[in-house]
Amino acid sequence: MPYQQMDDKSDVDSQKPEKMFTLKKWNAVAMWSWDVECDTCAICRVQVMDACLRCQAESKTDNYGKQECVVVWGECNHSFHYCCMSLWVKQNNRCPLCQQEWSIQRMGK
Amino acid sequence: MLKEKGQLKFEDKWPNMRPIVLKLLKQEPVSPGEWQDLFYDVHLVCLWDEKGPAKLKDYLQEDIVQFIKQAQIRVLAQREEQALLKAYIAEWRKFFTQCNYLPTPFRQLENTLLGKSGTSTLLSGNAKKGQADESIVRKLMLDSWNVSIFSDIKHRLQESAMKLVHAERNGEAFDSQLVIGVRESYVNLCSNPNDKMQIYRENFESAYIKSTEMFYRVKAPDYLAKNGVQAYMKYADSKLREEEARAQKYLEAGSNAVIQSCVDVLVGKNLSVLLAECAPLTKAGETDRLQLMFRLLERVPDGVQPMLMELEQHITLAGLADMIAAADVITQDSEKYVERLLELFRKFSTLVHKAFNDDPRFLTARDKAFKAVVNDTNVFRLELNTGKNPGPKTVAPESKCPELLANYCDMLLRRTPLSKRLTTEEIESRLRDVLLVLKYVSNKDVFMRYHKAHLTRRLILDASADSEKEEDMVEWLREVGMPADYVNKLARMFQDIKVSEDLNCLFRTSTARHDAINIKILNAGAWARGSERVTVSLPVELEDYIPEVEEFYKKKHSGRKLQWYHHMSNGTITFMNEVGKFDLDVTTFQMAVLFAWNQRPRDKVSYENLRLATELPDAELRRTLWSLVAFPKLKRQLLLLSPAVSGSKDFTEHTLFWINQNFSLIKNGKPQRRGKVNLIGRLQLSTERSQLEDNQSIVQLRILRTQEAIIKILKMRKRITNAALQTELVDILKNMFLPSKKMIKEQLEWLIEHKYMKRDDDDINTFIYMA
Repeated sequence: MPYQQMDDKSDVDSQKPEKMFTLKKWNAVAMWSWDVECDTCAICRVQVMDACLRCQAESKTDNYGKQECVVVWGECNHSFHYCCMSLWVKQNNRCPLCQQEWSIQRMGK
Repeated sequence: MLKEKGQLKFEDKWPNMRPIVLKLLKQEPVSPGEWQDLFYDVHLVCLWDEKGPAKLKDYLQEDIVQFIKQAQIRVLAQREEQALLKAYIAEWRKFFTQCNYLPTPFRQLENTLLGKSGTSTLLSGNAKKGQADESIVRKLMLDSWNVSIFSDIKHRLQESAMKLVHAERNGEAFDSQLVIGVRESYVNLCSNPNDKMQIYRENFESAYIKSTEMFYRVKAPDYLAKNGVQAYMKYADSKLREEEARAQKYLEAGSNAVIQSCVDVLVGKNLSVLLAECAPLTKAGETDRLQLMFRLLERVPDGVQPMLMELEQHITLAGLADMIAAADVITQDSEKYVERLLELFRKFSTLVHKAFNDDPRFLTARDKAFKAVVNDTNVFRLELNTGKNPGPKTVAPESKCPELLANYCDMLLRRTPLSKRLTTEEIESRLRDVLLVLKYVSNKDVFMRYHKAHLTRRLILDASADSEKEEDMVEWLREVGMPADYVNKLARMFQDIKVSEDLNCLFRTSTARHDAINIKILNAGAWARGSERVTVSLPVELEDYIPEVEEFYKKKHSGRKLQWYHHMSNGTITFMNEVGKFDLDVTTFQMAVLFAWNQRPRDKVSYENLRLATELPDAELRRTLWSLVAFPKLKRQLLLLSPAVSGSKDFTEHTLFWINQNFSLIKNGKPQRRGKVNLIGRLQLSTERSQLEDNQSIVQLRILRTQEAIIKILKMRKRITNAALQTELVDILKNMFLPSKKMIKEQLEWLIEHKYMKRDDDDINTFIYMA
């Protein structure tokens, strides 16, 4: 029996003070990740949740944590590190995975 | 002046010269005129008489020998030893002084004998020591002394001198100048310019060494037998110092041979007796005596090596014995374990410091022993192979030390009774201690894993005692050489939690009604790669917030998806019953279970119904319920159940649970009407299954790291022998783990099979990189 069905929704507010348990504080935890089909960037072979190889190498002097290495999605719905892709398109303006002409659908933020 | 050659004869001049020479020999006063005349006559003889120089030399020698003979008679007239020495020294000193004067007028003779043209050397001055030493007349004098007096009585001289030294060794005082004088004559007598010490070394020094050896050969065993080893060590040490001082007094500088022979007799001969004493002294921690022994044994080759082995063995055995004796306490309590370990370290470090002056060889032996203690698996075992597939990938058990170290770290960094009790400085020094122990741990990757898990808990529960110290600790880990990628990941978590705090502030100001909720939205890459989520049906009070948060997040970011980690989230609820009102810190799972009673406060609910209500997986529900019926800190539990069970495994689907309406916090034996209690315990980061995966992932990661390191080495070296490869491999990996021989072999085979590398055709123990 799912929880909501047990709960009589109509008197949630009116009965609140008399309830045996009342919520005082909730510390909710969630994890975010890029909404991608493939975890790994096909260009640098690093997981898209991590900074790309190039950024990792440079981050030694940078104050890391500032996640500037975002993900980009093409019209074909394939995704890569933005850094990796912007270098790639200079040589070949096609998606490395499906060979369709590359155009950006959206950028991660 | 210009007479023909042969007109002036040596024989004419000698009668004038002779008295002056004799006066000089006898140290009688010579007037300046006579002194001048001698120069002139020598010059004339050398210049005008062809045979003059040779004759002059012969006659001179004759007179010198005569003079020496008389001296000898005077010396030998003395019967008594001291008087003999005194007389000899007096004669010798007189003679030796004259050795410096007599040659001067004969310089022209020397030049002629050597066939040199006279003037240049005459002008260059005769005061130069180098020249004086090489003087022929001087050599003539010294050689004559050597042949006619010294050879005859040198044995008597030596014997007398050695007798005096012997007497001194036995504690009798005498005039040390006597021995010193004899030595000086030995040194100065030598006219061999290539080896000035020859006579001294062959006669005086060797006699000295012989008599010293004889003395101790008799005395040492005697003393040892009478007084025992420990007194003997003191004796030997003091005698060695004494002999060193004596050698400085009576021997020429640079004579090490005598000390060497003393060492041989005093230490070398009794080495085994001394070494037998090493173990009991080490055990008793007698630093003074050990230091004494160290001083003695250091003087003989291979003397220190057995001591090193003894120390290492002692620390290892004593350390392990201590651990095993305290096993009951320390396996349960990481604080006690680490403190016990540190106490051991301090004890033995003090020993090494006091007894061996922190000699690097002993420090190494200490470190080796510490490693053995820390990595021992007798007391704690950490089974990494998780029992699931004990097939070919079975991993040898490892020490649990890194896990306990990480726990101890957590206790220092979290708000705990321990960390509250200590000052900032104390906490810092203890953290440094942890790093010290960590240095000896060979499976550091296990420490890293546990440390990261603890840090995750502290950050998510906001339970850090001091956030500055947290970040310091990360830097210290970097300093002691923890792998950079691991340390960076920790640093990234701090950064991420700050980003999340900012986000939470924005969220809370975005609408007015969110005073009850805080959100942490974290980067999955930094925090929870691969960890498994647990489904739960949230109480409606919580569920309501979810869409709002997601909506808010979507506005802030794009291209991101959110996954709720309810097993990490937690909160505070207020519980009202007949006794009073209590604030409970609980996990979200505990909340889900407890809120099930809100609509039926006094009902007994079966396990099965709770499962349906919360939709928690079986294992999680059991764990959660157990934390509510048997929370260790509580005298009165929140939930009651029937029938009673001894563990969460024993719940059946019909087990009934109900709220304890008499629940209360007990203080001083009295129930309280208000209060706050934390029921979270150790926040669960992963389910049981993923813990198992965690262990496997450590093993898997080790395999990958090993492969990676092998390739790295081969890429650089192109070809390398097996032995060299193993050494370099351990060097690269030692900050993470110590690769076993077996694993290295397996990975080499794998890499060969997959054509990353091959064995040399001629030598199967050499590997070649294949691009």
